[in-house]
Amino acid sequence: MLEFASWKPRLLVSLGLFFAATGAMGYLRLHVFPDQFITLTYALPLLICLWYPSLRLLWSMATAFIGMSAYKAFALLPSHQLFVEENTVHWVMQVVNILLVASTLNIVLVILGRLRAANVTLEESNQELAARDEEISRQNEELQAQTAELSEQNEEIQQQSEELQQQSEEVHAQAEELQAINAELSKRQELLENLLQSLHDVRGPEISPDQLCGPLLHLFRGAASVAVVVLRDGDDVVVQAQAGEPAVDATRWPFASSFTAVAMEQDKVAGVADLALRPDFNVARPAGGRFRAVLAAPLRLAGRPAGAIELYSNAPCSWTREHFHILEWSAAQGSLIMEARRLHQQLVAANAGLDRLVQARTAELQELVTELEHFSYTITHDLRAPLRAMHGFAQFLEEESGPQLDDQARGYLRRIAVAARRMDQLISDALSYSKAVRLELAMSPTDPVALLRGMIESYPAFQPPKARIELPASMPQVVANEAALTQCFSNLLDNAVKFVPAGRTPHVKVQAEERDGMVRLCFQDNGIGIPSDMQHRLFVMFQRLSKEYEGTGIGLALVRKVAERMGGRVGVESEPGSGSRFWLELKRGH
Amino acid sequence: MTRQKTEPVLYAEDEADDVFFMQAAFKRAGVERLLHAVSDGEQAIGYLAGTGPYADRELYPLPGLVLLDLNLPGRSGFEVLAWLRSQPTFRDLTVVVFSSSGRPEDRAKAAKLGATEYLLKPASGGEFTNTARLLRERWLSEAGR
Repeated sequence: MLEFASWKPRLLVSLGLFFAATGAMGYLRLHVFPDQFITLTYALPLLICLWYPSLRLLWSMATAFIGMSAYKAFALLPSHQLFVEENTVHWVMQVVNILLVASTLNIVLVILGRLRAANVTLEESNQELAARDEEISRQNEELQAQTAELSEQNEEIQQQSEELQQQSEEVHAQAEELQAINAELSKRQELLENLLQSLHDVRGPEISPDQLCGPLLHLFRGAASVAVVVLRDGDDVVVQAQAGEPAVDATRWPFASSFTAVAMEQDKVAGVADLALRPDFNVARPAGGRFRAVLAAPLRLAGRPAGAIELYSNAPCSWTREHFHILEWSAAQGSLIMEARRLHQQLVAANAGLDRLVQARTAELQELVTELEHFSYTITHDLRAPLRAMHGFAQFLEEESGPQLDDQARGYLRRIAVAARRMDQLISDALSYSKAVRLELAMSPTDPVALLRGMIESYPAFQPPKARIELPASMPQVVANEAALTQCFSNLLDNAVKFVPAGRTPHVKVQAEERDGMVRLCFQDNGIGIPSDMQHRLFVMFQRLSKEYEGTGIGLALVRKVAERMGGRVGVESEPGSGSRFWLELKRGH
Repeated sequence: MTRQKTEPVLYAEDEADDVFFMQAAFKRAGVERLLHAVSDGEQAIGYLAGTGPYADRELYPLPGLVLLDLNLPGRSGFEVLAWLRSQPTFRDLTVVVFSSSGRPEDRAKAAKLGATEYLLKPASGGEFTNTARLLRERWLSEAGR
C-alpha cells in the first residue's frame, strides 16, 4: 500500500507497452488484414492503461491508433475498394470511438489516482487509529486491573466497617454500663467528700445530717425515707444527726432492747423488713407515728462499736443485698472519718499545747540570749581591766626594777605578761566567735584580692622580711560579709605564717579555683603540716594541735562557723613536713 | 607657761589602775598637762558644769580635752557625751572616747553623739604611752592648737 502511494509511471515500461501495443495492432490491421475492416476495436489496447495507469501511455497510444486508422482508411483501403465515402465514415467512427474510450479512461485514471491518494490518507489514519485503539485497550486493561483491586479493597473496608460498627456498639454498651457505675460512684464520692469535709470542721464530735445522712439517703433512692446517726451514751441511745422526712421526734431512747444494740452486738449490718412484726425493738419514732422498716450498721470508734447508722422506711421493705452492702460500706467510711476526726482533734489539742510550750521556751531562750549578750559585753570590760593592769604592772616592774631582779624573777615577770596577753586574746576570740554565731551577716559580692591586699599592707607580720604572701592579680568575686571574710582571712593568714619551723621564712601562696558556681580560695603554706589523723579536729573549738605555738584554739573554729554562716565551707589538705593547703569555699558573686 | 598650756585633761575613768597607767603614760610621753581624773559620769558632768566641789575654777580649771571611758558607773560615758554636746560652751571641746569596747555599734553611737575620736584601750597598761603620745601629737601640742 505504501509503495502505491509513491507510485509513478516509468518511461521505459510505458515505452515498452506502447511499442508492444502499437506493434501488435499495426501487424494485425495493416499487415494481416490490410484490405478489410476488422471488428477488433482500437480501443481494446487502451484498456492496458487500466492495469498500468499512465496518461502519457494512454494518449500516445490513442494518437498512434488515430494515425494508424487514418493510414489504413486513406492509404491502404482505397486500392481495394470502390467506395471511398464509406471509408471516411468508418474512420470518423473509429476516431470518435478511440477518443471516447481514451477520454473515459483518462477520467477513470484520474479518479483512480484520487481514490488511491484518499486511500493512502485513509490507510494512514487507519493505522493511527489502530495504534490508538491498541493503547486504549492497554489502558483499558490497566483500568480493569485497578478496578478489580479497588473492589477488593472496598470489600475489605466494608468488612472493617462492619467490625467497627460492632465494636462501637459494644463500646456503647460498656459506656452505658460505666455511666451507671459512675453515677453510683459519684454518689458514694459525694458521701465521702461530705465526710472528709467534716474532718476540717473541728467544732465537735457530732456529724451534721448533710455530711453523712443526706448523701446516704440519696444512695438509698427512696428505699429509705430517714437516715439517723446514733451513738451510745451510757444506758441511752442518742441521735447525733438525722436527715429525711418525717423527722425523728425523740432524740434519746433506752439502749436496752434497742435495735441499735442488736447491730452493735452483732457488729454487722442488720435489718427488719416489717417493724410491726417486731414491736419489742426500741427504734427511732417520727412525731405521732411509727417507722415500718429499719436497716442499721454499727459505727466503730477506737476499734469498738460506739453507735450506728440507721435507715428507716415508712413502709415495710425487704432490704436487698445491695442495700446491705451500701450501708456497710457507708458505715465503714463514716467510722473511719469519725475516728480520723477524733485523732485530729487530739492532735490539734496537742499542737496547741506544743505551741504554747514552744512560745514559752522561745521567750525563755530570748531572755537567755539577751543575758548572754550582756554577759559577753561585760566580759570585755570587766575581765579585760584587770588583765590590762596585770600586764602593765608586770611591764613597769620589769622596766623600772628589772636591773635589781635576778634572771628567774625577770622570767616570772615575762610569764605574767605572756599569760595576760593570752587571756586577753582568748577573751577577744571567744567574743568574736559568739558574735559570729549570733550576728546577722549582711552579704554582698566582695573582691577577695582587695581585702587580702589591704590586710597585708596594714600588718607588718604579713610583709617581707617576716613573711612572703603571694596573691594572684585578680580573683572572682565571692558572696560574703566583708567584716566576717576579713576575720576568716586574718585567721587563715595568721596560722599560715605562724606554724612554720624556726628559722624558715613563711611563704604563703593564695589561689582561687572556680567550680559549680563556687569559688575556692586556697592558702598554700610552707609550714609544719598536719598529720591526717589530726585534721578532723582542726576546726573544733579549743583544739590545739601543738603546744609549741601560741594560740587559743578558737581561730579555725571561728573560720568554720563564719564560712558556714556565709553559705560556704572550709577544709584542709596537708601532710606533715610539706606544708598545708587550707581552703575556703564561697558562692561566686556576679 | 601660756594659759592654753595649763588647760588640763579631764579623764573620766572608774578603773583606778587605768588612771594610774594614764598618769604614767603622760609622764613617759612628755605630755605637760595636768590629768584630772573623775570616777563616774556624775562627777564628770559636775566638773565640767562647775557645780558642787568643782565650783573653784582655780583648783578645777576647764579642760582642753576630755578623755571619756564609756562603761562608767551611774551615768555612762554616752550620757556624759550627750550632755556635753548639749552645752553651747562645750560644743567644740575635744572629746576622745577611750574604751575597751570594739563594738561597731558603740563606735557609731559615739560618732553620732559628737565624739571627736574613738580610741580603743590597749590590752596592756604599759601601752597607754602610745595613746598619750597620740593625744599630744594631735590635740595637746602648741603647734596643734
